[in-house]
Parts: sequence; structure tokens; C-alpha cells
Amino acid sequence: MIVCVAVVGHQNNPLYLQSFTEADDELKLHHIVQCSLDVIDERVNNPKKTGPTLNETFLGLLYPTENYKVYGYLTNTKVKFIFVTTDLDVRDADVRNFFRRFHSAYVDAVSNPFHVPGKKITSRTFAERVSTIVKSFGMSAAA
Amino acid sequence: MIGVGKIKQHANVLDKPLSKGKQEVSLSAFALLFSELVQYNQTQVDNIAEFERRLEDAGYTVGARVLELLCHRDKVSVGFQEDGFVYCLRCLFISWEDRVSDEVDERPNAVDNDLNVDKPKETLQNDERPGKETEGRHNCWGFCPLYTIQYGRCYLERSINSFLSEMQCGFHEVNEFFFTVRSVTSAADSLEKGTEHEDEYMISEKELLVNRFISIPKDMGTFNCGAFVAGIVRGVLDGAGFPAIVTAHFVPMEGQQRPRTTILIKFAEEVNTVLSLFSFHFCIGFEVIPAIVDDPQC
Repeated sequence: MIVCVAVVGHQNNPLYLQSFTEADDELKLHHIVQCSLDVIDERVNNPKKTGPTLNETFLGLLYPTENYKVYGYLTNTKVKFIFVTTDLDVRDADVRNFFRRFHSAYVDAVSNPFHVPGKKITSRTFAERVSTIVKSFGMSAAA
Repeated sequence: MIGVGKIKQHANVLDKPLSKGKQEVSLSAFALLFSELVQYNQTQVDNIAEFERRLEDAGYTVGARVLELLCHRDKVSVGFQEDGFVYCLRCLFISWEDRVSDEVDERPNAVDNDLNVDKPKETLQNDERPGKETEGRHNCWGFCPLYTIQYGRCYLERSINSFLSEMQCGFHEVNEFFFTVRSVTSAADSLEKGTEHEDEYMISEKELLVNRFISIPKDMGTFNCGAFVAGIVRGVLDGAGFPAIVTAHFVPMEGQQRPRTTILIKFAEEVNTVLSLFSFHFCIGFEVIPAIVDDPQC
């Protein structure tokens, strides 16, 4: 179950932040997303020699906390996608698939001429697409 | 029996689902759209410099969005700073086919980097990050090229996202009017590195697509509608992290009626430090026009 999805710009400014649970833990989830940004910076600035370098878009599991897992994805323009999930066993393929569709939705949102790059994404269509993707992630992982 | 078939077809014409339409748009439609853009801006400004600036800003917004889109479509990831920069230039200028075919064995996943779930990418963990130590080889990757040169011909690929929706009234959210114009027969490009300054590069083309149906009146001096293209280039470079000042100039050539257009790219200071860290081999494999380059290794 994905509980939180975030898009962070290249100056680490939040562009989109959405949680999919009851509002109690919302602040905690935002905090987790912030912490994972540090992990991303670390990965980007110190590339491991044996680490995944070619597919630098997908950063993988960033940060396993007590009952959450955080996955990250980096685009070419240094925009980061992060999601937090409570599933304990998540297949790699599912995550990549999720990010691919999420990237597609993001590109569509950015192509909007009324979107100012660097500001928050306020498109309703984007929000709907994201919630659809999130729901289907839950389905496919359960199946 | 045949008659029955024909009647069926007629009845079904209305029931047929609408076709998606072609992915390409005619050059004339694009030219008309661009002429409207130019005319609209002409009425808004008082002088030529501002006119160019407005066209360039329009191109900048396009370039920023195009970068996202092309990266996503071609699913190529960009290395940061050094690699990305070299690859940027490489993609922009040199013979893409040559480089890919030479090195496809050495970089197994460099070109096709899609997140295909069928093929587990265990090679990802073993790939080395290319660095300065791999001299003489361009095992780097980057974003999808705006201009790709293949065997001396230039494919100019342009995409203008939701451009029409700017012209239309109303707040359509993602009215993505997307069209690509491919010009297969345009003349060869060349990459030149400026000799007087280290941080200047030039793309020159015989005739820009946007300028094809435009002739500048004499009283406008050196104005060039290629400022739009310069803006696109600037938007792409900026999005990739290489801030630059990009301008478009006419360069008259003897023996030709219309002057060539040159897009001059002058990189910002912070990019210079990156440039000085490693040498460029981008002239290798470049077979169209000998590049004017300082680099002794070329």
C-alpha cells in the first residue's frame, strides 16, 4: 500500500506531495520524504564504482525504516520522485513500472503551458492519474 | 452479395471509431503557426532586441519541456555534469550512428535503457561509471539529441508541446498538441568550437526550419527568427544543467543565395570549470565538415 508520493525539484523544493492514508501520519510521512532526500544526494554525489550507474534514473530502495520502505527515482533534469510504502515485500518490477507511469504523468503535467517550472504542480488531471497509478500498484502487488 | 457488403460498409462508416490521426503535421501548418507567433510578438514590442528576446523566451519554455519529454520517451539517462555535458554535445553534433555501432559492445545498456520488466537488468549493478580515465572512448550517455546527424544528413526533430493551447483561450489542463516535424533532406550540420574563447560552440545549418518561409525586411537589420530555435537550445541546456547564452546569427556564404544560420552557444562560468577538466573527443567520428577545433587530439 503506497502511503505517500512526492515530486521534488532539482533544488530540493517540493513540487507535489500527496499522501493516501488518513491524515494522522501525514506529517511523519513528509518528514520521511525529506530524510530520503539526503540519501538521494549521497547516492548522486558519491557514485559507487559497482553501483548501478547506467540506469541512474531508478535509485531503488532508499531508506527502510520500521514499517515503511522508501523508493526513489531520478529524472534527467534532476527531478526526484519518491514514494513511501508499507508493503514488506515489493517486487522490483512493480516499482519500476510504477515509476515509469509516474514519469509519464509528470511529463504530461509539465508540458502544460500554464505550469511554471519550479512551482507546485496544481493540475487536477495529474492528481487523478497519480491516484489511479497508486491504486493499481496496490492491486498488482497484491495479486 | 457484393451489393450487400457495400451497403454494410456505408452503414458502418458512422459507427467506425475515430482514428487517432497522424503523428506528423505538415510543414505548412507549422510555418503558419510560427508566422502567427512572430506577428503577434511584433505587435507587442518596440524594438528588435526585445523582439528577439521574446522569441527566445518562447523557445526556452519549449526547450525545458522538450527535454523532459524526450528523456522520458527515449528512456536514456543522463550522467551528471561531466558525462552529461559531453554527451549533450555529442548528441547534438556528431555522427550518432557511428558512435553507437562502435561502442555498442562496450556499453551494453547505454543506448537502450528502458525499464522493461521482462529483461532483468543484472548488468546494471556491474556497470562502471565512465570517468576521465577512459580516454579515447565515449562510453557516456545522455539525453535524446535534438539534432542528430546520421551519415551527413540532418534529422531535425522538434516538438512543441501544447503550443496551440497557448493560443487558444480557456484553461485546458493538458491540451497537449504535439507534433513533430522531420526534415529529412536538410543540409548537413557542423559543430565548431570557437577558437577565440574556450566556452563557445556553434551549430550551423544551411536553413533553419523556422526560417524556411521567412524573409527578413531590410530595416530589421540582423534580426533572425532563429532566436526561437536558440531559445529551445538554451532551454534544453539549462534543464540539463549547463547554463548558456545561445544566440542565432546569419552567416553569409558565397555562392549561396540565402545565408547560413549559426547558433552560437556560450557557456556560463560554472560550466567552464567542467569543460577544463577533460578533453573533448567529440570531433572523432565527425565526418561532415571538419570541425574548427583547438584540440590536438582530434
